[in-house]
Amino acid sequence: MGFTIEESVYKPETGQFITKTITGERQHPLGTDNKGRDLLAMLISGARISLQVGLFATGIAIALGTLIGVTSAYLGGKVDNALMRFTDIMMTFPFFLLLVLIVFIFGPNLVFIVLVIGLTGWTGTARLVRSEALSLRTREFIMASKALGASSGRIILAHLIPNVISLIIVIATLSIPGVILAEAALSFIGLGDPTVASWGMILRAGQQSLDTTWWVAVAPGVMLFLTVLAFNFLGDGLRDAFDPRSSV
Amino acid sequence: MTDKLLEVEDLKKYYPVTGGLLSRHLGDVRAVDGVSFYIKEGETLGLVGESGCGKSTLGRAILRLEEPTEGRIIYKGTDITKLGKKELRELRKEIQIIFQDPQSSLDPRMTIGQSIGEGLLIHGIGDDRARVKRVDEILELVGLEAQHALRYPHEFSSGQRQRVGIGRALTVNPKLIIADEPVSALDVSIQAQILNLMLDLRREFGLAYLFIAHDLSVIRQISHRVAVMYLGKIVELAERGEFFQNALHPYTEALLSAILDIRQKGKTRILLPGSVPSALNPPSGCRFHTRCHRVLPICHQEEPQLKDVGSGHLVACHLYRA
Amino acid sequence: MKDAILRVRNLKTYFFTRRGIIKAVDGIDFDLLESECLCLVGESGCGKTVTALSILGLIDSPPGRIVGGEIYYHDVDLLGCPRDQLRHIRGKEIAMVFQDAQSALNPVFTIGNQIVEQVKLHLEVNDREAKGRAIGLLEEVGIPSPEKAFSYYPHQLSGGMKQRAMIAMSLSCAPQLLIADEPTTAVDVTIKAQILDIFHRLKDNRQMSILFITHEFGVVSEIGDRIAVMYAGRLAEIATTSELLNNPKHPYTTGLLKCLPDITRERDRLESIPGTVPSLIDPPGGCLFHPRCDKAVAICREEQPPPLAVGDGHTVFCHLYS
Repeated sequence: MGFTIEESVYKPETGQFITKTITGERQHPLGTDNKGRDLLAMLISGARISLQVGLFATGIAIALGTLIGVTSAYLGGKVDNALMRFTDIMMTFPFFLLLVLIVFIFGPNLVFIVLVIGLTGWTGTARLVRSEALSLRTREFIMASKALGASSGRIILAHLIPNVISLIIVIATLSIPGVILAEAALSFIGLGDPTVASWGMILRAGQQSLDTTWWVAVAPGVMLFLTVLAFNFLGDGLRDAFDPRSSV
Repeated sequence: MTDKLLEVEDLKKYYPVTGGLLSRHLGDVRAVDGVSFYIKEGETLGLVGESGCGKSTLGRAILRLEEPTEGRIIYKGTDITKLGKKELRELRKEIQIIFQDPQSSLDPRMTIGQSIGEGLLIHGIGDDRARVKRVDEILELVGLEAQHALRYPHEFSSGQRQRVGIGRALTVNPKLIIADEPVSALDVSIQAQILNLMLDLRREFGLAYLFIAHDLSVIRQISHRVAVMYLGKIVELAERGEFFQNALHPYTEALLSAILDIRQKGKTRILLPGSVPSALNPPSGCRFHTRCHRVLPICHQEEPQLKDVGSGHLVACHLYRA
Repeated sequence: MKDAILRVRNLKTYFFTRRGIIKAVDGIDFDLLESECLCLVGESGCGKTVTALSILGLIDSPPGRIVGGEIYYHDVDLLGCPRDQLRHIRGKEIAMVFQDAQSALNPVFTIGNQIVEQVKLHLEVNDREAKGRAIGLLEEVGIPSPEKAFSYYPHQLSGGMKQRAMIAMSLSCAPQLLIADEPTTAVDVTIKAQILDIFHRLKDNRQMSILFITHEFGVVSEIGDRIAVMYAGRLAEIATTSELLNNPKHPYTTGLLKCLPDITRERDRLESIPGTVPSLIDPPGGCLFHPRCDKAVAICREEQPPPLAVGDGHTVFCHLYS
């Protein structure tokens, strides 16, 4: 098909997709926008954007959540209390408002969106990881390590974290869809980064021509649906694979 | 005359209980409530008691895995309750621990070679090659093979995992090992194997054990002296022969009579009424008086002290004068 | 001549897993007579619990399945009868006591209610009668102040009391057959004695057969009339208690009995059985014990030993006696 990223960027000034007379042709099966940019190409590059957002934001959230969860569980006491109260506060934090604020100040930018989602989305992970780490902490191998003289740092890095990895992978896989949808939603309502043709942006453009070129809105919607479904299946499958009880 | 390797003086470990709206201090669970004893070099002290008596807590407190609330623990002449972080770490090479549960005592994500070698890594003993060599040595010492080093715990049986746990404790060359119910979770035929291993290692390395168990038959096989704990206190302590032939404390009598051994036919059993009282609110006077079949009036009021009634046989009971 | 209340014939229960087929029970036959206590003894993994669960139809399926054999309760083949009939028999005529009272008792209902629920499920009685029955049962198992205890929740009871409550529950419909799966294993020695005392009284006062599963020979010598020793899913030996303990024939039985730590004296080393239990997924051919048996001969590798009579009511599965 020979498209590059630059070519498949959708410029908001053009307003809407207009298919000329090339609807459904082999070269442009889904039509083009009024600048002749192929919709299918944009969908595909949109996938790339969505996945990047998904992975990076989730990565940040998971890393932060794991660190906080494990440290909180292992150190216990006041540190645990403080961190969990902090987590509670962050959980109620209106990230949406923060985003609006950032967009207002800095203008819409994909990097900021990823950062905001990542820096506010770690709370669920922290709680789950903390819970798992708490039950691990009383296991005798942790005490054995302590008895050998291991420092807290070593115990957390060498023992606790490897034992929560499978949990983290499952959480991550199941979080990615949420992040992708969040970004899509943001773009849809106009807070997204306009220089990037993510599915949300395509959806946004497509809603204006629902009565004529309805597939412009529907196609990204379908892609989102399929992607979310795929990650959910993957997450469920991984969770079953990691569950020791399922292999008798 | 061998030296006292470990001397415990009036050791206490309390767990505060808070409750109510303002988290007031309601009281303390007195898990260990004033315990004193010693262990000599190369000696095995068997510590017996039922669940909740505080024996495991005592073992962990000696290692400072749980910080003692009060009391002194003197190891080779130094009070280790006062040690700073750095010296405590050095102490970890002298006193080690073996756990009860072969399932949870090994990190499932580490190979057994890594588990055994962890002590060496932590203390910076040897380079990579030296460590591998040492791990192989240890594996053979505990009855496994060098090739097992690359395998994971779930590939081994309970007995083998327990051997790994013992090996892990040995890598740093300890002089004293706290064995916290090391064979309680094992089948009888494997239990015998592990006990033999511990006997062999003791002979070879001059190890001292604090052997914690609830099974007196096992205790009899491995201990030089035996101590009985009830509700946080030692109620009797004696040389093995003296202990089994001449048990004095009524609780010890009850424990011995409750043992079901096929070699002992037609025993009369002392059935203790009720169950162990709460360690949060132990009975007044002698803690055992609520269930004692030989209780005297004084037992309700005054707590008996642990006294030597002759040739090192200690008992805490009003029935006996020093 | 007593009748057999339970006849197990060639029972095979396998578990179909990703790693292979686990032959947990691989062809066992035994009878349980009226008013007798048969002890099923063996180490972990020998199949004794799976046998009990098979009788009651409680095997988790998948991955487990009873692939062969018959289990006759009186004249009814439990493996072939319709579900309604099975449900009626299970709970009313055949009851089970589990090892862990903690998980067998529902924490959100009082123990009285749990017994009443069982009673009303199987018997045509009104509320008052059911409650009366429940209180009577609590008294029978030695729970003090049964009328008050009726309203207790499980968490308000001590370990020993919970165990008793569980036994009371199992007796709610006056079963003819009681299956007890290691009821004395997870408890302290003094509580163990209390529980066995209850079983003694149950034996004396009720015309009930008991299938008692345990790994402790001491318990068996106390409570069992006959003993069946299991190894790796098969039977090794069956005999009356005194005959088996005094005159064991199977090398596994003799080995196991020698391993038991002796409360009566000390030894330099304990006897043990070398090796470990074979994998049930890929078991060795012939007699499953042969790799660990010091008396194994060529035929032991090839053929499974058939049952051989070596005395009155004494059957052994070993080629040495053919």
